[in-house]
Amino acid sequence: MSHSKAATIFNKDESKVNWHDKALWFVRHKRDLSVHAVKGWEELRGLGSQIKANVMSNLDDYLVQFEEHASKNGIVVHWAKDGTEHNSIVLQILNENKAKKLVKSKSMLTEECHLNPYLIKNGIEVVDTDLGERIVQLAKEAPSHIVLPAIHKTKEEVDVLFQEHLDTKPCDGDPQYLTMEARKHLREKFIQADAAITGVNFAIAETGGFVVCTNEGNADMGAHLAPLHIACMGIEKLIPKQEHLGVFLRLLARSATGQPITTYTSHFKRPREGTKMHVIIVDNGRSIQLGLEDFRSSLHCIRCGACMNTCPIYRRSGGHSYDATIPGPIGSILSPGKDLKKHSTLPFASTLCGSCADVCPVKIDIPDQLYKWRQIITKEVPQSTIKKISMKIMGRVFANPIKFEKVGKTGRWTLRNSPKSMINSKLNVWGKNRDLPDAPKESFSAWYKKRKQ
Amino acid sequence: MNSRSEILSKIKANKPASIRIPEIDIDFFREDIDLLSEFKNKIVEVGGTIYSVVSINDVIDKVTSLYGDTKNNYSVLEGSEGFNTINLEELNKPHELEDLDVLVLKGAFGVSENGAIWLSDDQIPIRVLPFITKHLVLVLEESKILQLQHHAYDLLEDEDYDYGLFISGPSKTADIEQSLVIGAQGALSLSVLLYKK
Repeated sequence: MSHSKAATIFNKDESKVNWHDKALWFVRHKRDLSVHAVKGWEELRGLGSQIKANVMSNLDDYLVQFEEHASKNGIVVHWAKDGTEHNSIVLQILNENKAKKLVKSKSMLTEECHLNPYLIKNGIEVVDTDLGERIVQLAKEAPSHIVLPAIHKTKEEVDVLFQEHLDTKPCDGDPQYLTMEARKHLREKFIQADAAITGVNFAIAETGGFVVCTNEGNADMGAHLAPLHIACMGIEKLIPKQEHLGVFLRLLARSATGQPITTYTSHFKRPREGTKMHVIIVDNGRSIQLGLEDFRSSLHCIRCGACMNTCPIYRRSGGHSYDATIPGPIGSILSPGKDLKKHSTLPFASTLCGSCADVCPVKIDIPDQLYKWRQIITKEVPQSTIKKISMKIMGRVFANPIKFEKVGKTGRWTLRNSPKSMINSKLNVWGKNRDLPDAPKESFSAWYKKRKQ
Repeated sequence: MNSRSEILSKIKANKPASIRIPEIDIDFFREDIDLLSEFKNKIVEVGGTIYSVVSINDVIDKVTSLYGDTKNNYSVLEGSEGFNTINLEELNKPHELEDLDVLVLKGAFGVSENGAIWLSDDQIPIRVLPFITKHLVLVLEESKILQLQHHAYDLLEDEDYDYGLFISGPSKTADIEQSLVIGAQGALSLSVLLYKK
């Protein structure tokens, strides 16, 4: 399904769309307040961007360094070329340790690899322990945002969901009550778990350690209770040295939610006594993206979600309309590299307004890359006849000033004099769900000429 | 070819020419501010509560007055025998800490820009402690407050820890309609007790 078609599903509930739009803009606003208080924020972004560029240019060396140090520290390191291999490594580790009950903290990588359905099919109980992820897991949905997984759900929907699955009392969606009930439910799961899976925010080549950031404390509750900890990371999560955490931790939470840092920033270096720690390093298409010069810097992403919160399209179309593990602007430049045909409409789900590039903590040129993907997609993926013809006509009109003036005049007259039923008719896609602006009587160039005289 | 060498050789073939690593000039970010008051502000901003005690010997009295008669308590401070109801050496596994009410730990240092306090194995006898407890009390010497996260890593440069973490506030979530709820999977509250050396 194309992004625009999927967006119409989300757009059916107008009040929900308005809420979604405002809620995310509020998060963007909190980000602004937070970053404006930091002296040298732009320089900090510059450092983040340069460190990541250095990482990409030495990625193979850093990975080998990381492996060497992590192994010395007693962590078992695995390599997976794709999602399938990643999933079978996880299952094998679980089976070797006779682990049947698994608690997971947030990891977009395991979403990307579709780990949960695979493990469940193989008899493992999988519980997502981030509250938002638990909500979407119970609802049998995918996260719609990388930092706020259940942002598309109303509190009343969560209320009903918890009544069904956690046996809670009806509460008109009281967030406090629902969160405390989830806490009780998840505590039970933490106590019973045989194994814990976490993601990795940053892996440090120099020390062989890795850092996991959460607000809820769920990653640590899982990892410190279960006798087995498996951490899953994409190859791009490496940073050269521990001191670079100073840059990225200052950027990450402020960009994500406006917090100065996440509640818990946990540095794992060696397993605790009597327990096992594994790290799985996953490629799954990243090394190919690394070879695409125009799109390489998309791998710099530190998954803060700021580009989603600020995007006028994302805010009004919802994360599920992207039908990709990572939605929003960053997802729209990452996904076509994975499957050009499936994700061919995503780079068009943008006005190229540039807001995402302004807020990106590692300065990824998202709008430029969206534009470049469009150039590739229109050549390689068949486009609709209407689109092809109209683009051709528009090309001719824009190339010819006399034609342009004529079409403009006709357009303005038609807009002023046609009945609303015609302007907002099905034939005019621009009139769908919105009123068009009043057309001025004269064109800009006519106004400009008059002004000069 | 196994996956390791396949991945590494693909990266080698596809990576760009070497790009140099930037130097971090910490002084560029430094500000002339009162670290202690900034730190206090940030603790409150992230949902914690701040108290001052005269000396480290007053901590347990303060904690008892704050939390009243709690059933399961543990403190790492010297002289906590009367307060502690748990003997960590008798534990078979960390799961037995499930009902811990109040935990008192010493922080190594704090960071004023984000209210984060660093603790590593030296300060945490069992890793799950600061998460599994209902209420967490962190005790910190007033002079051990740095300005920026960069300064923190400067200090940690030579410290070899097995596990360590920054804690900034109590556990929290806004996953239900963006309403902030304090107390998610980790500690329900965080009190920071500052004392002078």
